[in-house]
Amino acid sequence: MSPMSRRQAPRRPRVGVVKFASCDGCQLTMLDLEDELLAITERFDIVEFAEATSNRSEGPYDVLLVEGSISTPEQAEEITRLRREATMLVTIGACATSGGIQALRNLADHDAFRNAVYPRPEWIESLPTSTPVSDHVAVDAELYGCPISGRQLLELLTALTVGRRPQLPDEAVCAECKRLGNPCILVAEGVACLGPVTRTGCGALCPSFGRGCYGCFGPKESANTPALAAWFASLGYDDGEIARLYAKFNVGAPAFHQIVEAKR
Amino acid sequence: MGLDANLAAAWLTHELEPHTRIALAELGRLVSLRPTEVLMREGDPSDALAIVLEGRIGLRLRVPERGQVTILTVEPGDVVGWSAIVPPYRATSTAVALTDSELAVFEGEKLREALAADDKLAAQLYPVLLQAVARRLEGTRLQLLDLFSQRWVEPW
Amino acid sequence: MVRVSAIEPETWFLPRRRLDELVQALRQGGRDVIGPTVRDGAIMLEPIETASALPSGWGVDNSPGVARLVRRDDERVFDQPPGPTSWKRWTFPPRVTQMAWNGAGESDGDRQPQSATAAPAPMAFLGARACEIAALAIQDRILAGGPVVDPDYVARRRDNLIVAVECAVAGGTCFCTSMGTGPELGGGHDLGLSELDDGFVVRVGSDAGRRIVDGLGLMAATDDQQQTAEDSVAGVRAAMGEPLPMEGVPERLVAAAESPRWAEIAERCLHCTNCTLVCPTCFCTSVSQRSDLDGGSATTERSWESCFTLDFARVAGGNFRTRPEDRYRQWLTHKFGTWWTQFGSSGCVGCGRCIAWCPVGIDVRVETQAVAATAPAPSIARPIVVPASFPAPAPPVTVVGKPARELAWAQALVVDSRRETPDVVTLTLNTDDALLLAGRPGQFVMAALPAVAAPPISVSRFHPDGLQLTIRAAGAATAQICALERGATISLRGPLGRGWPVELAEGRDVMIITGGIGLAPLRPLIDELLARRDRIARIHLAYGARTPADRLYKDELDRLAASGVIDVAQTVDRAGPEWLGRVGVVTQVIDRVLCSCDRTIAFVCGPERMMQATVDVLHERGIPNERIYVTLERHMDCGVGLCGHCQLGPYFVCKDGPVFSLAELGPMFEIEGI
Repeated sequence: MSPMSRRQAPRRPRVGVVKFASCDGCQLTMLDLEDELLAITERFDIVEFAEATSNRSEGPYDVLLVEGSISTPEQAEEITRLRREATMLVTIGACATSGGIQALRNLADHDAFRNAVYPRPEWIESLPTSTPVSDHVAVDAELYGCPISGRQLLELLTALTVGRRPQLPDEAVCAECKRLGNPCILVAEGVACLGPVTRTGCGALCPSFGRGCYGCFGPKESANTPALAAWFASLGYDDGEIARLYAKFNVGAPAFHQIVEAKR
Repeated sequence: MGLDANLAAAWLTHELEPHTRIALAELGRLVSLRPTEVLMREGDPSDALAIVLEGRIGLRLRVPERGQVTILTVEPGDVVGWSAIVPPYRATSTAVALTDSELAVFEGEKLREALAADDKLAAQLYPVLLQAVARRLEGTRLQLLDLFSQRWVEPW
Repeated sequence: MVRVSAIEPETWFLPRRRLDELVQALRQGGRDVIGPTVRDGAIMLEPIETASALPSGWGVDNSPGVARLVRRDDERVFDQPPGPTSWKRWTFPPRVTQMAWNGAGESDGDRQPQSATAAPAPMAFLGARACEIAALAIQDRILAGGPVVDPDYVARRRDNLIVAVECAVAGGTCFCTSMGTGPELGGGHDLGLSELDDGFVVRVGSDAGRRIVDGLGLMAATDDQQQTAEDSVAGVRAAMGEPLPMEGVPERLVAAAESPRWAEIAERCLHCTNCTLVCPTCFCTSVSQRSDLDGGSATTERSWESCFTLDFARVAGGNFRTRPEDRYRQWLTHKFGTWWTQFGSSGCVGCGRCIAWCPVGIDVRVETQAVAATAPAPSIARPIVVPASFPAPAPPVTVVGKPARELAWAQALVVDSRRETPDVVTLTLNTDDALLLAGRPGQFVMAALPAVAAPPISVSRFHPDGLQLTIRAAGAATAQICALERGATISLRGPLGRGWPVELAEGRDVMIITGGIGLAPLRPLIDELLARRDRIARIHLAYGARTPADRLYKDELDRLAASGVIDVAQTVDRAGPEWLGRVGVVTQVIDRVLCSCDRTIAFVCGPERMMQATVDVLHERGIPNERIYVTLERHMDCGVGLCGHCQLGPYFVCKDGPVFSLAELGPMFEIEGI
């Protein structure tokens, strides 16, 4: 694709930001880029971003950032419509890329929840599973995380304007911990940390504060979650504890899901 | 007689024993083709097996949205129309001369009868033809891998 | 045994209560002292200001996957094995800015890359163990000892003061005895300390060390103190034993490329990169782009990389090493095997960090022996040369730091752009850089524009005042290069690599077999062969392309074919009815061609699968490996053998290649993911 830089494209790229089943935190990350926000609004024409502007647009979009998982029949239809309107569709966040924490219901009886919680369950239209956007439409790029990293969002936007491949490495959190000089809490203290099987992007945030990685950026490529689960077991964690480690924000991702299924 | 000398030079048949080659030569005749002349059409009954002696024969398949696509050219020494001796004896592609060409052509039914009757001929000819078809298959597989195409289509 | 230095035969004694005086003496002249200190449950190497920061009374219990701090009831400060950091954190930092662009972000302005110069404060390393000094020497050889040096490393390493410590405890994962790097100190230090309960036996290893000892005014060490020091390190050697017998191991590792053990390890390995990042000798790096939204303030950053990441061997058209078992094989075989061929020593110093800090406790001592045990008889092209003196330490290298030509960028001006096919462009560039103009057929350049990655591109023709690059728009960076118009500038680094052996063609028949964009690096070879046509017998060129429209240099090829000077056979994978030429794989252009194969030399370039099929046919024609040359493509970030990405067995494709004879490649040409 050609760069969307000022001198190559006479008009600014039309950008939309939409949400499905999510908490809004990933959209907020763009607004948190305080130093760069002005430059972003100058380079991009933000035509749809309900959280930030009253400008509305049903499309078309040069770039559409999609937050949230597909959780209702209505959302499944809407994402298909939006795919047609978008030249480039980018999913942002754990909900959009793996189904989010609400994908815990994929392992359980969704009807039972509905009946237990709502006085008129028949009025609640929801799908039995919460699924990532990529299960429904083709996706051009993904930003992972819960929430996504502002730095990575900025890199994606810069890559679009400058015309380079976005540098979003698919490597373990461990690589970042080691570059930062964090001693490994799993090795040094036996604290369960999902870092070795989780994609970096957060800057090794939790281990930098002495907490085990929660896996919120989802499994790295070829994540060998069974081998790490076996190690946790040898450290004394029981099956339930191990399952709960993986049953979080990216429980819908196959590499994490398989451990929860096996251990619960 | 002339055909025998041609068969002695063609790489497909040059290792046949002399009397087998002579027997084969007697079954065939020399044919000249001008550019665009068709030897056989895709789907038609295949009634001739030929060995290209000079020139170039293009093998084409019809792809409705794209017209005729040339998927292979047969160069001197190689066989075209092996389908004439393999059931269901139907041409698998259209064979057309791309340049002035000379071929040794063997009528299908005559060749099939000769192979059924003459064990020695069959014992020498089938391996040679099998090798040619195997070579073609090898080439087709490499063509299928589409090695010269851009393998990844990325948005970036 | 306490080996006294050649400079001073005496040893001194520093009482424990005076240790801080040593620290302050090291800090003289604005020097940063880096030493061990307890932080976050481990012993880390950090800047320290007083001796009280040292890990007094702390030990570490190391076993595979486990490294637990242990509190002791004494005041000894150096009784621990190496922690997860090594001195490379300070000589070869995880992230450095390599280069800044002047004029980036402006349209067609004078965009020039400028190397960032590191000007760090001088450093003293307090507490370097024998294995770590060996590791520094190994990195010195790689990053500062070759024809091309890393200027940032040289700047940081040039003025180090090393205060070494001779280990008094053997860590649970240590195996320096097997690797010939310790535990005894052998040299490479300015001062050497042996810790006793009440102080340190000190010996001098350099003039700088002597000055510090003089400044401190120390008493001589007594015979008892010296004996205690000797016994201490002898005890370490006895406790460690012989954990990894290395006899014949390098060769067997290389020969065991198809061992089933690799897949078994891959079931346990998380390819998390921890082993490579704690390793004191691993040197692989990646270059990334930093810029603002406009591509202005563009810089490049060099950061620690690992051969365990998926993208390590990625190129625009694919990835040469994806399977986890192949990634582990690369690391272990390199560290214990092919490092010998590359650098004349083992890559491993036996510090045991990778064993302790592997999150799942994979133990290289076990795995190396297990793989070596499954090795068949070695059948590699180039044997591993392990000196008979191994395991004795390799000699140290003096860090020189001469400016490296291959790291300097030259400017080139686009004077013509010609579209060869829908996705391939040939740029004609003018430059006055003498080295670029003196390039040889088969060499390549790194081509850089601001804020995008700099890919390696083969030179497709040399001119008296410039060169041509033929580029396929396979990704973002190459697409931008293809889009350059006349008058634009581009920065080039090179010429790099080893080119085609043109002189070997004289007096021989030449077969050139190529396909797709593979014709580009062969075109300068053809130019040279034509320039000396009368000294070469027959020349056959077989060129395959996807379709007639995808052929490069169509007019030139047709003219060349018509001239009859060389025999040109073109073929395509498929065509429409207007094409009257050959259709079929390029290998079948040559498999029935008669040749005097005892005097034929072949040059092949194309996708590796096509080259493999071509080599099979050449073998059938009786052409031996010594007379078949191929050119390889690999991921390159530096092009000069420093970033590590392009390795293929013992070779760096960027500097030992990209042209190789099949005899040099041996079985590696056919092994997946090597």
